[in-house]
Amino acid sequence: MLIDREKCIGCEECFPYCPVGAIRLAEGGSVSEIDQAECVECGCCYKRSSVCPVDAIYMPKLEWPRCLREYFSNPDVKHPSTTGNGRGTEEMKTNDVTGRFGRGEAGVALELGRPGVGTAFRDLETVAMAIARLGVEFESQNPVAELMADPKTGKFNDAVLNERVLSAIIELKVPVGKLRDVLAVVKEVATKIDTAFSLDLISRVDADGTTPVVAIAQAAGFSPRPNTKTNVGLGRPLFKEA
Amino acid sequence: MTHTLHRQGSVEDLHEDYVLLLRTSRFVNHEGSEKTMQQIWEVISHYREDLVNFGNHNPNWDGGELYDLDALQKAKSRIIHVVFRDREKIKACLKEIKERDFGISTVVSGLCGETEKICAEIGISPHTVNYSLGIHGNTGRVPQGEILEIHTMCGHSMVATNLIHHMVNEINKGKITCWAAAKNLSRMCDCGIFNTYRAEKLLRSMTTDRSR
Repeated sequence: MLIDREKCIGCEECFPYCPVGAIRLAEGGSVSEIDQAECVECGCCYKRSSVCPVDAIYMPKLEWPRCLREYFSNPDVKHPSTTGNGRGTEEMKTNDVTGRFGRGEAGVALELGRPGVGTAFRDLETVAMAIARLGVEFESQNPVAELMADPKTGKFNDAVLNERVLSAIIELKVPVGKLRDVLAVVKEVATKIDTAFSLDLISRVDADGTTPVVAIAQAAGFSPRPNTKTNVGLGRPLFKEA
Repeated sequence: MTHTLHRQGSVEDLHEDYVLLLRTSRFVNHEGSEKTMQQIWEVISHYREDLVNFGNHNPNWDGGELYDLDALQKAKSRIIHVVFRDREKIKACLKEIKERDFGISTVVSGLCGETEKICAEIGISPHTVNYSLGIHGNTGRVPQGEILEIHTMCGHSMVATNLIHHMVNEINKGKITCWAAAKNLSRMCDCGIFNTYRAEKLLRSMTTDRSR
C-alpha cells in the first residue's frame, strides 16, 4: 500500500487499522507514509476500512515476489497457484468427503505469524527445513508449497525469503507413529524463530469417540486447548475408507 | 487450516462462542451446489434472532450490514459461516441441517466437550477433529489478555491489535459505545466469524463504559 503525499492531510486516522503498525508520520510530520519493508499488503487501511477521508491510500501494481504479501495477507485475494482465498486449504473441513486424513494419520499445521505478529518466509523456511529432516511430505495444495524450491528439504526459493505476510501455514500429514517425532522437532524449532505460531493437530475420530493423537501430543509436552473444530460427518458422498 | 480454531478465552467465555461452518469441496461436491447452499441459508434464517454474526466467502466491508439473510438465500456461497452465542441454538440449527440431509460438510468450532455432547444429543458421530495445541515460538511478541481474545475472533488477523486499543481509548473518552466499537471491529472481519457479542462484553470489562 502507498499513500499519496499530495492528498494526505496527516490526520493519522489510518494508523490503528494497520495490523503490523507500518503507518507513521513522514519526516516533517505533515503527511503519513507506509513502511514498505513492514507493510504486508493486507488492505486493512484501504478498502476494508475505507478510513482515509481524502482517499490518499492506494494499492500499486504489485510485482513478484512482493505480490505474495497480498496473496497471503488479504483474504479477499485468490492465490493464483491454488485459485482459493485465504492462507490454508480445505483441510479437515471437508475430510468426510475427501478422505484427506485417514485413520492412522495425523495432520499437523503451524501457522506462522499468528496471532498478531506477522512473519517472513525466512521463518517458514527455518521450520520447514527442520521438519523435512524427518522425511515428511508437505501439503501440495497449500499455497506455501509452490514457494519451496525443494519440498524434500523444505528449502524455499531465495527470492521470497524476505517477503513479509500476516501469516502463512506449514501443513503436513504424517503417520500417527511419526507424530511424536514431528512434535519434538516443532518444540525445538520454536526456539529458533523470531515469530510466534499457532499449532494445529488433526485426527479422524475412532468409533469410541476418541482420537489417538491427544495422548501423543500430551506426552510431547503440548496441551490441547478446550476448543476444537469438529467435522460432524454430514458431507456426501461420504469418503469410503479402505 | 486454522481460521476459527484458535479463539482465545476462558472456558466460561467460550461457552458463548460457537461457529458453524459449512463448505463444499472443490474436489468432490462443489459443482451444482448453488441451490443447496441457498437452502441452507434458508434454514439458518429460521434462527435470525439468535445469530451473532454470519457471512460467506464474499467480503464484508459494511459492518456486517452487507450480509443480509434474505439476499444470501439468493447468492452464490461456497462457504457458510454462522456465529452463535447459545449452545441450544446452534444445536437446534445443526439438528435441522442434519435432518434436511443437504450433504454439505459441516464443522462446529467451539468447546470440545460441548460439541461432543451436542453431537450425541442429536445423533451425530463426529468424523474428524482439529485440536489447537496453542501458541508457540516467540510468544513475547504476542498480544495478551482481552486484546488477544478479541484479535483471535478474526482468523485472518484483520482486526489489528492497535485498532482494539484505539477503540478502548475512544470508549474511555466517551466518543463511542462498546457496542459501536464491537461493530467497528467486526467490519474488518470479511468472513463474518467475529463474535460481536463477546467483543462487546470484553470491551465493557476493559473500559469505563457501563452504558448499554
